[in-house]
Amino acid sequence: MKKMAAFAIVVTMAAAAWAAGGTEKGAAAPGASKAPAAVVSVWGWRSQDVDVWKAAEAALQAKGENVSIKYEVFPPTEYDSKLLVSLQGGVGPDIMYTRRLPGARTQALMDNNYLVALDGKVDLSNFTDVSLSFIRSGGKTWGVPFANQIVGIFYNTEIFAKYGLKEPATWAELLATAETLQKNGVTPFFATAKEAWTLAMQNAMVGVSYPGDAWIGKLAEGKAKFTDPEYVGMLKDLNDLKRYYQKDFSANVSAEQDVTFGMGQAAMVFYGIWGTTNWLKTNPDLKFGYFPIPPKDASLPAKAYTYMDGSYGLNAASKVQDAALKILGYAGTPGYGEAFSSLTGEMTALKGVKMPADRPVLVECYGLMNTIASTNRYWVGSPFDAGSPSVYNILQENMQAMYLDAITPEDLAKKLQDGISVWYPAFKK
Amino acid sequence: MLKRTMFLMLLPAVALYTLFVAYPFASSLGLSFYDWAGIGPKTFIGLDNYRNVLSGFMSTEFYRAFNHNWVFFFWSLVLSVVPGLFFAFLLAANMKGSGWLKVVFFFPNTLSIVVVGFLWSLLLNPQWGLVNQLFKAVGLGFLAHPWLGDMKLALPTIIFVTAWRGLGFYVLVYLAAMLGIDREETEAARIDGATETQIAFRIILPHLMPIIATTSILKFIWTFNIFDIVYAMEGSQGGPAGTTDVLGTLFYRIAFGGLGSSQTGMGLGATVVTLIFLVVFPVSILYVFVLEKRVERNA
Repeated sequence: MKKMAAFAIVVTMAAAAWAAGGTEKGAAAPGASKAPAAVVSVWGWRSQDVDVWKAAEAALQAKGENVSIKYEVFPPTEYDSKLLVSLQGGVGPDIMYTRRLPGARTQALMDNNYLVALDGKVDLSNFTDVSLSFIRSGGKTWGVPFANQIVGIFYNTEIFAKYGLKEPATWAELLATAETLQKNGVTPFFATAKEAWTLAMQNAMVGVSYPGDAWIGKLAEGKAKFTDPEYVGMLKDLNDLKRYYQKDFSANVSAEQDVTFGMGQAAMVFYGIWGTTNWLKTNPDLKFGYFPIPPKDASLPAKAYTYMDGSYGLNAASKVQDAALKILGYAGTPGYGEAFSSLTGEMTALKGVKMPADRPVLVECYGLMNTIASTNRYWVGSPFDAGSPSVYNILQENMQAMYLDAITPEDLAKKLQDGISVWYPAFKK
Repeated sequence: MLKRTMFLMLLPAVALYTLFVAYPFASSLGLSFYDWAGIGPKTFIGLDNYRNVLSGFMSTEFYRAFNHNWVFFFWSLVLSVVPGLFFAFLLAANMKGSGWLKVVFFFPNTLSIVVVGFLWSLLLNPQWGLVNQLFKAVGLGFLAHPWLGDMKLALPTIIFVTAWRGLGFYVLVYLAAMLGIDREETEAARIDGATETQIAFRIILPHLMPIIATTSILKFIWTFNIFDIVYAMEGSQGGPAGTTDVLGTLFYRIAFGGLGSSQTGMGLGATVVTLIFLVVFPVSILYVFVLEKRVERNA
């Protein structure tokens, strides 16, 4: 079924591209087809993108572009090392997936002239400034963003309807919702504390609504501290929330969450939009919705933690830069974004793209990206992740410790403040 | 002429050793004096990496991981040698079905460590894993625990799984050593009225001491290089809350950053590797020494 859908998209995109580019490109195509196609190698860590690149190749060829795309996938944990070693050996790809900024990995690629700045070479007008900010440095843009992620609480709409619950607007309402569910024998939250990164993510997504976007802005400027009552209060409330998690949550992982939430055995999960594909694989009939973390103070707006997931960078040593730029140019068009979202079930980083209608949560989250995304953050894609020890690393280990009662919320706040103060300029003062 | 021939015969082995052991180690040692993210220019920083690891911002994590390696070594040694000897004694007595038992004991050793880690992670799942389900089924529900999510139980659990996988190796090695003992000695002892326990402790065990020493040293070397089973069962963070972090996972996180973290520090990682080497190398020398003694004794 998925292969048929992919085939249909490839055919549709090819037909659309042919129709759009029609007359003039059509005339060039016969001549171009005589020369061997320029083979452009693309390296990435996302196996779910294989069909996307097939669709892109078909669309470009239908427009008369004589290019062929060779996409190679590497395990996410090995990708960066493989890329670094290959680039230094002069055998890297023409187009490489790059992590968002700020981050030492992409920074190193820029600093050592492995990447080409794309301003003026690729039309980036279809991206929002927020998306581009994750790959801009020194006034230049170093990649074409491919996906945006949004994290928050996903909930089973049928369970909510059964108990007459609605999306909570405040932290107190969230607790009342969890209480109602627990009293009725439903597991309110399925948490995956064995995977420490999910706890760091949970902390950060709660942070943008409570203590809030503006407070994080002050934190970044060094005008607020992790040890301030606002943040410690949040940690205490988060720690108290664990009474609504499943028993022995400290030993569960997200693969188990996919099954549990997918099968309707838990009402809510703290997760990201990328999880929806697996839930629907587990249970195609699952009915679920999304809401951002409700703020403690009703006067504060609920915000969503969003970030650009990565981008396509151009290798400065590529021998087929013209062909690679054609691909990158196409990756910056709404047509590409539509194919990306249809085939992967994730949010394209492009604006003005029609999300697949059979994914209502994707449609909703894509809209929310432009309305409630927080402007400040302290997890991935934040200035606090650009040094060592990063906020990410401190949160991972110590959120586990807090949930297991090995440290207090105050201890965790102090560890964050002390750890980041080692290197973060605004905290050093 | 003989010397020249010997030299030529040694050459391939020396070349391979130099290429795959000596050069990478020398390169790693050199790297430990630099600040290097894995790409671009390296900055010479002298002993700063050693200072950071031994007494600076990485020291808490380093000593915690170092301590875990010691705990891992001690308990996995106990859980390998004691049951290994016990089952080897039973098998040496030629009890019924001992052939099948040898296969059963050795089977886990044929599985990849990553597969073992994955399978045990499923078995130990707190909600539907077989281990907790079995405890509950036989009325021992109070023994059901979140094994890999408990700060006190996670490391012992991984040590147990490691010992379970390696047990067959120890059983077979000790069994082979027992079968090599001259039967006349044990039979003479029986005629003189020695009990089976006295024979086991006074005759068989002393004969096995050299092989126990050898396997213990090997266990030390393996344990201080351990990474895969912890990674497979707890990830590179060595969770929960760092309670299963060992030097191998610490090195991985420092050198490659780990998924989601943006920091990589090849120089700092190389420092950890060098320190692991400094611990393992003297023991490796001891291993060679013990091995040579055994060869001399048997000659």
